[in-house]
Amino acid sequence: MRKLYDALQRFRPHFEEGGRLQSLKPVYDATESFFFAPLAVTVETPHLRDALDLKRFMAVVVVGLLPCLAAALHFFGLRLLAMIFVSYAVGGTIEVLFAVVRKEEINEGFLVTGLIFPLTLPPSLPLWIVAVGIAIGVILGKELFGGTGRNPFNPALVGRCFLAIGYPAAMAGNWLKPGSGTLGRLAQYVDSSSINAISSATPLSAAKQGVFASLPDLFWGNVAGSAGETSAIAILVGGIILVVTRVASWRTVAGVLLSFALLNAVLHRVNPGAFAPVVWNLCAGGLLFGAFFMATDPVTSPFSNGGKWAYGIIIGAVTLLIRSLTGYVEGVMFAILLGNIAAPLLDEAAVRIRLRRLRDEI
Amino acid sequence: MRLRGGYNIAVTGRPSREVEVLPEPDVLYLPLRSRRFAFTELCVKDGQRVRSGAVIATDPKNFGVPLLAPREGTIRLDASEGHVVIEGARPAAEQQYDPDTEIPHVPKDPGEADRKRRQLLALGAWEFFSDAHTGTLPDPFGTPRAVIVSTLQLEPFQSRGDVQIRERLAEFTRGLEHIQSLLERRDAPVGRLRRATGTSLHQPIHLVVPRVNSRLAAELQERLRGYAWVNIVQVPLRYPFDNFRLLARYLKLKPNPEEPVWAVRTGGVLAVDRALTRHLPCTVRLVSLGGPGVMDPKHLKAMPGYPIDRILDGRLKDGTVRVLNGGGLTDAVLPPGQLGLDVECSGLTVLPEHTEREFLGFMRPGFDRVSYSRAFMSCVLPIALRHSTALRGELRPCVSCGYCEEVCPAGIMPHLIHKYLYRDGLEEAEAARVDLCVGCGLCSFVCPSKIELCRQMLDAQQRISRELHAQEEEDS
Repeated sequence: MRKLYDALQRFRPHFEEGGRLQSLKPVYDATESFFFAPLAVTVETPHLRDALDLKRFMAVVVVGLLPCLAAALHFFGLRLLAMIFVSYAVGGTIEVLFAVVRKEEINEGFLVTGLIFPLTLPPSLPLWIVAVGIAIGVILGKELFGGTGRNPFNPALVGRCFLAIGYPAAMAGNWLKPGSGTLGRLAQYVDSSSINAISSATPLSAAKQGVFASLPDLFWGNVAGSAGETSAIAILVGGIILVVTRVASWRTVAGVLLSFALLNAVLHRVNPGAFAPVVWNLCAGGLLFGAFFMATDPVTSPFSNGGKWAYGIIIGAVTLLIRSLTGYVEGVMFAILLGNIAAPLLDEAAVRIRLRRLRDEI
Repeated sequence: MRLRGGYNIAVTGRPSREVEVLPEPDVLYLPLRSRRFAFTELCVKDGQRVRSGAVIATDPKNFGVPLLAPREGTIRLDASEGHVVIEGARPAAEQQYDPDTEIPHVPKDPGEADRKRRQLLALGAWEFFSDAHTGTLPDPFGTPRAVIVSTLQLEPFQSRGDVQIRERLAEFTRGLEHIQSLLERRDAPVGRLRRATGTSLHQPIHLVVPRVNSRLAAELQERLRGYAWVNIVQVPLRYPFDNFRLLARYLKLKPNPEEPVWAVRTGGVLAVDRALTRHLPCTVRLVSLGGPGVMDPKHLKAMPGYPIDRILDGRLKDGTVRVLNGGGLTDAVLPPGQLGLDVECSGLTVLPEHTEREFLGFMRPGFDRVSYSRAFMSCVLPIALRHSTALRGELRPCVSCGYCEEVCPAGIMPHLIHKYLYRDGLEEAEAARVDLCVGCGLCSFVCPSKIELCRQMLDAQQRISRELHAQEEEDS
């Protein structure tokens, strides 16, 4: 530890002003502050500060994603690690390039985007498509708008949306059948070339043909689908960590799930053919993953409490309608992006109401 | 408005109920400046021998509030810059108030209430009062709209409100009676007219007490049962609900420069009692000594001018520390040249300076981290919570997590105002009611992006009154 610190300090002069590697200062700073907490102290009131910083904030999201990651590795094998590596490598490089050109610091938000993105993809997607997706997601979804904190859309979903439209065959054609048994596919590496023999339909596409996966399979995640979305229990465990730690807003999650469940309950009575039973529909597809991990991104969701409820309701309702009434088998991605579009408007309305109340305050 | 937001920061190093009487000092260093006052008009000469309670200097800009000699001794004016030094200090019989004393800047008025107000001013008790809205010293001869008396002191590491009141309940209630006797409405109609209009003879006194079930609270309520003119206001024991601006808003007392709202804490009520019952100068104060840098946090009975070195000597833990003149969230660092306690000092807070770079700090479980979020294990099992001067992170863009809005007691949206100010939208910030910020510092405390929200909002308040309102006046 001491040696690492000393080594970092030895290289520091090269990155300072006048050094040979001055332009790579953001990279040096990010590396140093990753390993060693900064020395910065308060200079004005309040002299005390909360221990939470953005690194910890994002680290909590990563911890919340770990159960999903473990489930995904179990059901779909080691190839997921390769996808995560590509995602971090390509996305991280782009992040660094933008930081160097802008002479800004590298933000921690990418720790989450880089992990969440592969978890939303089919587990057998060719790695080059993963690279294209994350590149588009980071550039179009985040950096063009000014980087972390200023992006209107969830970068991982922008990347996924691009792939869904640009490479429909790769994205929706073959879904890897989950491994069974104690080890599952933990010791296997299944890539796009060998998938044809072991593909299967996702629960939602099978349901369109009238075949419903069993509820325990959906609950544990023993079904085909995007890498991180299949296991309801893993998502719930991770999601509850996020809500309890206050990193994700419970209002958004509750808005999504309640609106989806209520609307589904009503419409299932009206038209049981098009609308699946509530509990089954809640556990199938990417709804839970989207509700806990994607919709709750604080930057792209509304900041007002009222806005969060409305945003959640929009996402839940639109997901159900796309899923059940359109040609698409899944609608979470479009619903959240639609929610992202609506977020500023919802906030505007909530702020107006709030300011009208505040106007007459003394 | 209802009381909303607020947050009690978990701390170690809060002063205990123990009150230690400090040993008599030989030398006193009386600072000529404090947060509100500048005692520029000297009333003594170098080498002059003064009695305890004599006026050393006055502040002409603040209704001539006096700086009193806490002890008998010899004055040295040039011994230390910015201070009046009293050498050979020793306790002596204190000088009782002489009603014929001439006080500069204060007009003589024959009224009974005015006579008492003069006495409060002359004996140093008026310094405990403030204007609830502006925090400045109110005119001692003005007519207040109401008086807010707060028994709370909720800032971390600060004096606990119940320490003083516990032992001196009788003096406290007598002090309240004295304050009430100052408040005769000069314009109140008399007799039948008063009954017909329902106007009361006195301005209300709002006594703010914590909403807790304790023997002390019950005893206080019992004592005040017959005091129809005291309106007891119960508030949750949560920082910063002891803030007078917030309390004034809660009590629907609008700011009005003609009729200010007086605000005073427990120490002030006891000072009023001492000045008006015993006619003695109020030179001894109860100050807290708290913070994680102190070995044994407690309360101290000390007088202004008491050498700070002597207070801190042998009481600090090892390592470099930062000493604050007041609490940890709103008050400033003790100026390096200040040698003695100033007249407004409510306590000293000692924070260890942050010097350590933790290896992979953000990945640690954090049993010792204090956080509004529950992102550390300390939310389940708090072990040895640590506070220091660490910023605990790097400046990052706002991610709209909304924590600042949740804790804001004023009901405004600090993150939104920050975004308006980021694009120089001063008018938008004004429309978002940045003026309601009471400067409690909670938004800056909780911000995970380490943005100085509180400072930005207080600066914006100043800029708005300077730029926008000056422009309006020019136009009109």
